[in-house]
Amino acid sequence: MSTIIPIGPFHPVLEEPEYIQLYVDGETVEKADIDLGRVHRGMELLAQEKTFDQDTFLIERICGICSASHSWAGSLAMEDIVGIGPTDRARYLRTIVHELERLHSHMLWVGLGGHILGYWTVFMWGWKYREPILDALEMITGNRQNYAWFKAGGVRRDVADELWPEVIKIIDEFDEKVDLLTGAILDDPVIMGRLKGVGILTKEDAIRYGALGPTARGSGVDIDVRRDDPYGAYSEVDWNVIVQDGCDCLAVAVVRLLEMKESVKIVRQCIEKLPGGPIANEIRDFGRGEGVGHIEAPRGESFHFVRSNGTNMPERHKMRAPTFLNIPTFRPRIKGETIADASLILAIIDPCYSCTERMAILDSTGKARATTGADLIKLSHEKTEKLRRES
Amino acid sequence: MSKQVVENLRAKFGDRVDIYEHNDRRAYVTVSNDDWMEVLRYMYEVEGGRLTTATGSDRPTGVELLYHFAIDSDAIVVNIRTTLKKPFPKIESLAKYYNAADFIEREIFDFLGVEFDGHPDLRKILSSHDRPADFHPMRRDE
Repeated sequence: MSTIIPIGPFHPVLEEPEYIQLYVDGETVEKADIDLGRVHRGMELLAQEKTFDQDTFLIERICGICSASHSWAGSLAMEDIVGIGPTDRARYLRTIVHELERLHSHMLWVGLGGHILGYWTVFMWGWKYREPILDALEMITGNRQNYAWFKAGGVRRDVADELWPEVIKIIDEFDEKVDLLTGAILDDPVIMGRLKGVGILTKEDAIRYGALGPTARGSGVDIDVRRDDPYGAYSEVDWNVIVQDGCDCLAVAVVRLLEMKESVKIVRQCIEKLPGGPIANEIRDFGRGEGVGHIEAPRGESFHFVRSNGTNMPERHKMRAPTFLNIPTFRPRIKGETIADASLILAIIDPCYSCTERMAILDSTGKARATTGADLIKLSHEKTEKLRRES
Repeated sequence: MSKQVVENLRAKFGDRVDIYEHNDRRAYVTVSNDDWMEVLRYMYEVEGGRLTTATGSDRPTGVELLYHFAIDSDAIVVNIRTTLKKPFPKIESLAKYYNAADFIEREIFDFLGVEFDGHPDLRKILSSHDRPADFHPMRRDE
């Protein structure tokens, strides 16, 4: 008889709650049913009642981590309507902030991955090394999160040249720590045992499910909006798209770790090449029209569509975050895996971990065993311990 | 100079598609309800388009669907548009052929009440489940 394990719906500190039911037979997961919408905030409707200028403040609150990504994608869509792009200096400034955001987002994920596997050192180090990046963002934009910095046509505030040496110093130190962490993680046989061959998402499935970002690139799908539909300064600096063919959780982890090195390279080059001049082109009137903007956020492509009807407010503002398309890939990944690996496989798409804190295990009659999210993490920790003892 | 995918659409569908090229990276294609699925499947199966998302909006002419396909190899986003009649908009589902459309079409069903014929699992996705079944928050009906 198959047992249903409900996971979720949400934990208040996490940004994208979801409710997942695992159908399990013994310890093996047979299928997963996914239900979203626990914190639906009606932002698309709200955006129609705000001016274009106010909208950029609204859309950066879609996500606590990717605030630069959404506000950049939204600004690109607005710029697409009128055909006026940002100034050269704004393009470089935006790219710097966007890559710093990718660095701290990936590092946050590394830390949480350590937490789920029971590697407290990885968790503590990851989050410790992430902190200076937030300091750099605060120096540049004035805020650690929700930068209030992007607008259609450019950015809102300029950055003093004296700040850049400090940012370079932070980046250099971070670069060393990334090497340290990457080496420690990839050389550890237990971590390899937990990640390698677990949660397979084939290339065909990744394409069929429309997987994005590191989730797709870990399955050998070579897509990256930064290269495929260039925006910002990405076509003017030297960097590589990281693709791995492993299709398992390890491949996604490696993509994220190596991408941090690329982001460091991009930030360094952008600071070196940073042009002078004005920080924004003035857009007085959006007129009538439609615009599309999409960018590569840390978790994948963020997509915005804006329609203007000639007033100062958008008639329609469609926004789509990458997790919306990445969550369904959980279905093929989880099939045939054990419950102990469920929290890890959920985490591999970086869905902001909403599910792991509050859950109950029920059998199909509605009673029998009940547990909490902590127990699921505990199951994961026990598996790591077992591997440690065996190795 | 139009991008290859736009030329291909013109050559294959002729008068059945109305193409507006906003710039060399964005194109808007309007099709009738009858040609809808043929064009969508062509975009996915032949051109290798990636369905990034779909925008549904309630406009004076009816409920408008706008499917955004990114052609990653050619740096272009092709937006396919059709308009459905109110009060009961209904059209064939792409989710039968392409899993990525599953959640995307459920969202449009949820917010605008568009019935996707043949969708494997058409139910509410984002709005609260205790709302009435015929409550669609983005509809502008009186």
